[in-house]
Amino acid sequence: MKKIILSALITMLVISCQNSSSSETGTDEEGKPQIVCTTGMLGDMVQHLMGDSAEVKVLMGPGVDPHLYKATQGDIRLLTDAQAIVYNGLHLEGKMGSIFDKLQKQKAVIAAGDMVSPGRLINSTSFAGAHDPHIWFDVSIWIEAMDGVSRELQKLYPDWKNYIQKNQMAYRQELEELHNFCISKIRSIPDSQRVMITAHDAFKYFGRAYNMEVRGLQGISTTAEYGLQDVTELVNYISSKKIKALFVESSVPKRSIEAVIEGCQGKEHPVQLGGELFSDAMGSAGTPEGTYTGMVRHNVNTIVNALR
Amino acid sequence: MDKLLEFLSFQDPNVRTVTFGTIFLGMSAATVGTFAFLRKRSLVGDAVAHAILPGIAIAFMLFQTKNPFVLMSGALISGWIAMLLIEHLSKATKLKPDTAIGLVLSVFFGIGILLLTSIQHSGAGNQAGLDQFLFGKAASMTRSDLLAYGIVALILLMAVILFFKEFKVLSFNPDFAQASGLPVKRLQFILSTITVLAISIGIQSVGVVLMAALLITPAATARSWTESLLVMMVLAAIAGGLSGLVGSYISFAAPNMPTGPWIVMCLSFLALFSLFFAPKKGVVARIRQQQQNRKKILSENLLKTFYHLRENNPSSRTFSREELLEKRPFSDTEYNTALGRLRKQFYLIPEGHNWSLSEKGYEEAKRVVRLHRLWEMYLTERMRLKADHIHPNAETIEHIITPEIEEQLLRELDYPETDPHHSPIPYPRK
Amino acid sequence: MNIDAPALEVHNLTASYNRKPVLWDIDFQLPQGQLIGIVGPNGSGKTTLLKNIMGLMEPDSGYVNLFGKKLNDIRERVSYVPQRESVDWDFPANVFEVVQMGRYRKNNLFKRMTARDREITTQSLEKVNMLEYAKRQISQLSGGQQQRVFIARSLAQQADLYLMDEPFVGVDAATEESILNLLTEMKKEGKTVIIVHHDLQTAYEYFDWIVLLNTRLVASGPKDEVFTSNLLQEAYGGRLTVLSRIGDLIAKKDFPIRESNFKEKEGQGDG
Repeated sequence: MKKIILSALITMLVISCQNSSSSETGTDEEGKPQIVCTTGMLGDMVQHLMGDSAEVKVLMGPGVDPHLYKATQGDIRLLTDAQAIVYNGLHLEGKMGSIFDKLQKQKAVIAAGDMVSPGRLINSTSFAGAHDPHIWFDVSIWIEAMDGVSRELQKLYPDWKNYIQKNQMAYRQELEELHNFCISKIRSIPDSQRVMITAHDAFKYFGRAYNMEVRGLQGISTTAEYGLQDVTELVNYISSKKIKALFVESSVPKRSIEAVIEGCQGKEHPVQLGGELFSDAMGSAGTPEGTYTGMVRHNVNTIVNALR
Repeated sequence: MDKLLEFLSFQDPNVRTVTFGTIFLGMSAATVGTFAFLRKRSLVGDAVAHAILPGIAIAFMLFQTKNPFVLMSGALISGWIAMLLIEHLSKATKLKPDTAIGLVLSVFFGIGILLLTSIQHSGAGNQAGLDQFLFGKAASMTRSDLLAYGIVALILLMAVILFFKEFKVLSFNPDFAQASGLPVKRLQFILSTITVLAISIGIQSVGVVLMAALLITPAATARSWTESLLVMMVLAAIAGGLSGLVGSYISFAAPNMPTGPWIVMCLSFLALFSLFFAPKKGVVARIRQQQQNRKKILSENLLKTFYHLRENNPSSRTFSREELLEKRPFSDTEYNTALGRLRKQFYLIPEGHNWSLSEKGYEEAKRVVRLHRLWEMYLTERMRLKADHIHPNAETIEHIITPEIEEQLLRELDYPETDPHHSPIPYPRK
Repeated sequence: MNIDAPALEVHNLTASYNRKPVLWDIDFQLPQGQLIGIVGPNGSGKTTLLKNIMGLMEPDSGYVNLFGKKLNDIRERVSYVPQRESVDWDFPANVFEVVQMGRYRKNNLFKRMTARDREITTQSLEKVNMLEYAKRQISQLSGGQQQRVFIARSLAQQADLYLMDEPFVGVDAATEESILNLLTEMKKEGKTVIIVHHDLQTAYEYFDWIVLLNTRLVASGPKDEVFTSNLLQEAYGGRLTVLSRIGDLIAKKDFPIRESNFKEKEGQGDG
């Protein structure tokens, strides 16, 4: 009996060793390099840039809040095995911070936020010296980030430089169309209604780029606490400006928004729930909202329909 | 000030909901917490609060809803299992009770965190909200929440009113209750159930981590203000409700202030206040009592000094400060304190720069001396102490002996005439 | 010996405490209307015996009859006075409230105390000379006063059989006298009082009937029959070594004391 257990244990040990040796090179079974991204938006970007030539894995799926996300053992394994890592930076992945610093020494770790010229970043009011990380909501900034990531990827895979550049051009065109779409669509909302109320302050870049006022109940990070005053002030703001609708987010608990709606009803101002926006995470894979462009389009359409 | 008036006007619907909600929750938790406190089950309450987390997570995973009744049922089941486990673990195994409590607390809590984190990772991020369970989500309370808590609070109250005397005897002497034929197992079941219920709704206000405070602190605070169980429970409920009110106000008056932790801060403040200012048991009261004792001792010693001086010089009645201090060395402050007290009590009469005892004062001086000498007799006769060992002892005890004990002493010693040093024992003038 | 209409009958009782058997095959009967003392050295199982009789613990085997019936059928005729230190006296209640607990019964679960209840409580307090302390907080009582409160509570139950656990421990002379007078009264009224007692010397003075216990029954009978040097030596001369070791083994190895199919039948044992 003991011999059987012993040989089983040894077999398991051998098998697990096998696994790690093949992925030490950071490639999958077909020999394609593995690139791990944190958010879905980044995954989408990198997939567009690398096309078929790389296997892109995303840590945070639909509905996952990157501010609160804590890496699991499986995630650490993925990150250590990857050839390259692309993360948002600017403290979006608040609870994963030191991991990227450590991995920097072993492999290519690209922070999308670093690719954007600092002058274009919004300063955070609550955390001194820190920036608002939600850069993907200004499509023009996202384009700049993509350019930067593309440059880094070309450095990493010089053999594929032309291929990546071609993809970059194609995607750039798509994104510029998207940017214009946003500008014109949002313009159709009357001035007085151009206010976007959400659960947390994810949309500051969006507001600045497309000329909308944005307010969130919680601050820039969902780790921030909110109290009764924050709720009542928001209620007063919405009621006094007679704003028609507010929005929940796919990755943040709805409860706070529900309390605000109830408060407004109590103040005789029937504000509506305008719909669900994708703020820090995209929609489910396979749906149109499961891509970056689809997600932005969905948000814009939802906002416009609710507020027009 | 404006903020305060605005708050108290209760015009804002969110203010109304949140404030009433936290008040109800605070009051329910404090009411059942009184019994947990008296039965010395405070730690179990903490364990149960942590243990309801997996119940909530599983209820959510099974039914995919945030309906408060569904989640509360999950919490109830999980809390109940934890409670049963704690009880039977120490009986069935060699584990000590505190080990059982710690074990159940950490294992259940760990499982709960695991489940909630996996819910978060699975993309139902807009549903679960881990943080909110850990520290409470009072600020975003809705009317339907309020209704749920109100109903539960009512059930709790009814149970406590109905079974008040049974819970009382259960907390004081469960063996006697069982021997008297009371259905102790069923009563314990009811008490445990309403405790878990109170915890299940209470965490909406202050969260799992701080729930123990909401349960126990009000009772602990109330204990030192009364010796009646009913009054203690009412005071605890008031403390619990008041903290809800103040916590909500602070959350209203300042930005980014979560309600739950402030409620607990308020409770802690009340407890600290109680610690210092409770009558008789509080620190301040005890210090004052000690000061009174010291003054009493000093003034009685001064009286004795007068008596001793008179004893040695039967013709003198009036004595100077120097004479008194020579007979017994007081410090300046001590002398003045004693003198002041004796004057206030009209035991002393001033004679120029000197002093003499009044009629009352003389009788009182005799009393203290009598007690001293009686006690010395008791020590030598009953406790067989040697005559040269007894003086310091008597110096202390003479100030404590009450008239009742004096009576007893006199009877036991049969009204002795002298003490072990052959000094006469002064009896009151008839 | 066989007694007609015994107040208490203990039949082949074996009971454990913390899985170690502390009572082996205890078998005796006690007559009505007497003051009975149960004495034995520390650890002899006296309190365990009392708790088994009162249904607070389950025996491993054997049974108990009170006035010929099972406890649950006769509870209103039996009253229990626990050890004074089994309770935390720092509880918010006054003397009257505690004594009144003696009036709580299954059948008045949801009802309030009546005037009759209050009357009986008052009378019970008077019988132990504690009426003047009725409003006093129990935390402020001396040991003897606490003991008298417990006894008053028991009296309020108006039972016929009283079981008291070490009521004379740590009480002052006044309380001792008070309790003894009370016991004499109770005997006159035909009550039966069984007292687990801690002190051998006073046992002879206080009681009519003595039960000598040391994990097994040493003797049970009128005091003059029991207080012989042989029997006292046997009771107080130390534990039975072999029995003690068997007890340790049972506790350590979780051995059952009776085979599981064995059901105790009332009446004659066989084989």
